[in-house]
Amino acid sequence: MAGVFGVTINVLMALGVAGGVGLWIDRGGRRSQVRRILASVAGVVLGGLTLWGIYASDKLETTAQGVVVSIVASALIFIVANRLFDLAPDRWAVFTTLVGGSITLIVFVLMWGNRIFDQPVLRTVVAICIGAVAGYLLGTICQPLARIGIGALAGAALGLVAASGIRTVILQFQVEQRTFDVWPMLPNLNIGELILSTLIGAVLGVAVWALRGRKGSPIAPLIWGATLGYAVGAWLMPRIGTGTKTDAYIAAIGLGLGLGAAIGLTSIPDHVTRGRIEGSARAFIFLIPALGFIAATLIIPTLRTLFLSFYDARGEGYVGFENYTTVFGIPNIFNVEDWTGIFGSRLFWVGAVLLVVGVVMAVVVGRQSGYAISFSPGSGALASIGAVFAIFAVFAALRGTLFNNLWWVFTVTVVSATAGLAIAVLADRSKGESVAKSLIFMPMAISFVGAGVIWRFMYLARDPSKPQTGVLNSLWVGLGNLSLSRGPGFWIAVVLVLGLAAWLAGLAMRAWQAGERGIGAGSAICALPLVWFAYALWQGIGGYKVLENGQTVASTITFTQESPFNNVWLMLVLIWIQTGFTMVIFSAAIKAVPAELIEAARVDGATESQAFWRVTIPQIAPTIGVVVTTLIVLVMKVFDIVKVMTNGNFGTQVVANEMWQRAFTELNFGLGSALAVLLFLAVLPIIYMNIRRMQKAAQ
Amino acid sequence: MTTLSRSAGPGLGHRTYAFLRSIPTWVLWFLVLLWTIPTFGLLVNSFRTRDAQRTSGWWETPFQGVANNLTLDNYIDILAAGSQGHLWRALLNSLAIALPATVIPIAFAAFAAYAFAWIDFKGREWLFIATVSLLAIPAQMSLIPLLQLYSGGGHITLPFVEKTLTLFPDLDLAGRAVSVWLTHTGFAMPFAIFLLHNYISGLPKDIFESAVIDGADHFKIFWRLVIPLSVPVLAAFAIFQFLWTYNDYLIAVTMLGGAGQNFPATARIAALAGEFGQAEHLLTAGAFLSTLLPIIVFFALQRFFVTGILAGSVKG
Repeated sequence: MAGVFGVTINVLMALGVAGGVGLWIDRGGRRSQVRRILASVAGVVLGGLTLWGIYASDKLETTAQGVVVSIVASALIFIVANRLFDLAPDRWAVFTTLVGGSITLIVFVLMWGNRIFDQPVLRTVVAICIGAVAGYLLGTICQPLARIGIGALAGAALGLVAASGIRTVILQFQVEQRTFDVWPMLPNLNIGELILSTLIGAVLGVAVWALRGRKGSPIAPLIWGATLGYAVGAWLMPRIGTGTKTDAYIAAIGLGLGLGAAIGLTSIPDHVTRGRIEGSARAFIFLIPALGFIAATLIIPTLRTLFLSFYDARGEGYVGFENYTTVFGIPNIFNVEDWTGIFGSRLFWVGAVLLVVGVVMAVVVGRQSGYAISFSPGSGALASIGAVFAIFAVFAALRGTLFNNLWWVFTVTVVSATAGLAIAVLADRSKGESVAKSLIFMPMAISFVGAGVIWRFMYLARDPSKPQTGVLNSLWVGLGNLSLSRGPGFWIAVVLVLGLAAWLAGLAMRAWQAGERGIGAGSAICALPLVWFAYALWQGIGGYKVLENGQTVASTITFTQESPFNNVWLMLVLIWIQTGFTMVIFSAAIKAVPAELIEAARVDGATESQAFWRVTIPQIAPTIGVVVTTLIVLVMKVFDIVKVMTNGNFGTQVVANEMWQRAFTELNFGLGSALAVLLFLAVLPIIYMNIRRMQKAAQ
Repeated sequence: MTTLSRSAGPGLGHRTYAFLRSIPTWVLWFLVLLWTIPTFGLLVNSFRTRDAQRTSGWWETPFQGVANNLTLDNYIDILAAGSQGHLWRALLNSLAIALPATVIPIAFAAFAAYAFAWIDFKGREWLFIATVSLLAIPAQMSLIPLLQLYSGGGHITLPFVEKTLTLFPDLDLAGRAVSVWLTHTGFAMPFAIFLLHNYISGLPKDIFESAVIDGADHFKIFWRLVIPLSVPVLAAFAIFQFLWTYNDYLIAVTMLGGAGQNFPATARIAALAGEFGQAEHLLTAGAFLSTLLPIIVFFALQRFFVTGILAGSVKG
């Protein structure tokens, strides 16, 4: 539908639905703000659709119309199904009539859609009439023999109608240069087989009846079993497609006869049973759209991906575990050759020493207060920075996509949870709390792609001889200039830094003497890096370095390219985004800790930091668990940032991007699926933990 | 929390304590500054000419004279159809993806959440936990089969018979927005059901009982009682889902594939970022434009957004 006509239709369609939805939401004159927001959102929705229809191509336009139609259609189906089951308790005959008609409709449309029929329309209409009449009769007549007769007759008639329409020639059709043959669904009957499978079915039916406690008469299970056995023998034998029309009649009529008789065997349910039917059907109707979507987009594709991971690139030949061995055989994905490098790196030893010092401090402090170990902000910071350094050193040595992913998970989870908690604590009850929190939270609204672009401008590196346009390199090169210049600026900086360090050291001494151990240790710990900074400034730090022959060469940091620590710079982007999320959750959790608990601890003589570690942290422990698992799941599948900033080059590849490239660029579905399965296996423990937590919550 | 609440201690003076007590606030605002600089820098850069962007940092803008360096050309260039960006079209595509992908799941999830909360049936608890546990399944697990489904239909080959039956016809959806909606709808279901169920199951039982006494069935209770009472959580989910789908890149770029004319803003910006060409100065304006709507939605409806996040995580 192109041109003015199509546009008019779009506008009318959108305006009509928009007005309808808006009025419906805002109906009844009860005007609350939320309603008005919803009404305007709905208006915007449909306005957007309209605009889209006008601006986009015909293809998109027809899609939009198709979708509006399908949404309306599914809403109608939903409402009709609900109304249908409303009828069940009180107007049984009407209910059965409609059910008979609709079941026939569904079955015939399914066969129609699979190109089984030649001329489907008239046949479907006739079949629906037969189904509806049978439904009506079965809903009103009580006499058992008559019911069986009606059921069998109607079933046979439906079988006749279906069999008469089955195509007898091969149908060919093309999809994107591939030709598909659809064979006629003509069964090729073998009487011996047919009788055998009918008998087996009947025996199985009776066996099931016996196993389930011999309730009621065995005739119904017998007929059901026999009918199913007959269906298998007639329709599911490998020779299907080679038979004749006569065979089709026999197979279809027999099946219909059996099914109809089995249905006719039931008696008209009493009022209580009807109510029960209505109730369980209702749950089913309410659940089926959501569960259908979940099955179609999550469960079935997950199973299929598992299946594909054992097949070759095109998903045609079974290759066993080859894809998995390939994954661990590609050095870009899995590379542990350099593991001894861990112990050669300075970072590792610095980290190890810091970790040990922090832990020792915590143990000493803990002894004094009667705990096995007691972290203060100072010792906690030392130990955790040490741990982070050591682990960074490990990941700098073990290279490849898989280790990168683990590195991401570790760093982003730890840093963003810690930073979020710290900011939540800092902001709690301070001036301008909501503004500060909003600003830190804001990156959550920015897409990963947008964030990647934003940080790309932060990380820009130009030719070092020219002014830098990226913030970080500008600072870095500026520092280098300062360090090399030995001019007044340099001396002022050195004196300032050393002065600050000296003041902190003095404060530390005084605080220690005054018994303020926490302030003393904190100041001392802050003074140390300042001294180190002054020393580094003296030695030369920043974007210039001096060679041995005294020559000065410029250097910037190409943040996204210098492996392996470019990974950390990419992680920073995700940390920037996610810290707002953790902060908001922690902030709410901290505010939910009862104030009396903390006051009681303070009255008992706990310091502020002890109250935090011993009262607040245990109180928010479940929240920490939730945040950490949420982050792990999220970081595990990081994709956009890497894709936009490096596309996995320079040793920054992660599993999600590797999977995407293998599957959709190289079209190697087997390897792509195997990588996806690895991601899935990595989150399985978390799924298990979530299930356990929900089971606990349910009890 | 102020780390030092004692007004004075032995040995350290009032002023030292006052200074130390103000440190957390200083640190906080320093962090806020750090967090804001990247976005602010992008915003400033987006108004600068190509030459200015390439030769000097955005922080030098105040010293460079407004007339020579500030311009709206980047925005005009990237929005105008026919230029390298086509961002106007991409922004419309983003809306056309995000709005339906927000509205469709709400209805389905609300039905299911109501059924899980208030309709008694066998295996309800088990089914609910199974549904919500799918939250953690990585989208990557579904991408390949879903793309195959959209571009070739869904078929099942009967064992032994070697005949293929079509369960889902090939509607040629790959490359169209519909495929992205359907995918988002499915992926959103577990979280949406979880979030709405948390809220709906917490509604007072009395109103349901009195409604049943008045002769209302589930359908009526759902429409007349549950939906009006759940508007806050529906709004929270809507905002959450809108931001999620508007900002999504992975699903859009996978399902739309080569159909660049249907790309949403994220995919367009990513493509632009990959080009490293003459248009790099437009990237700033493009990135800012594409984040503008989410940021407005975010600041305007932050309260609902926070409610949604909290209901989704703390209560669980």
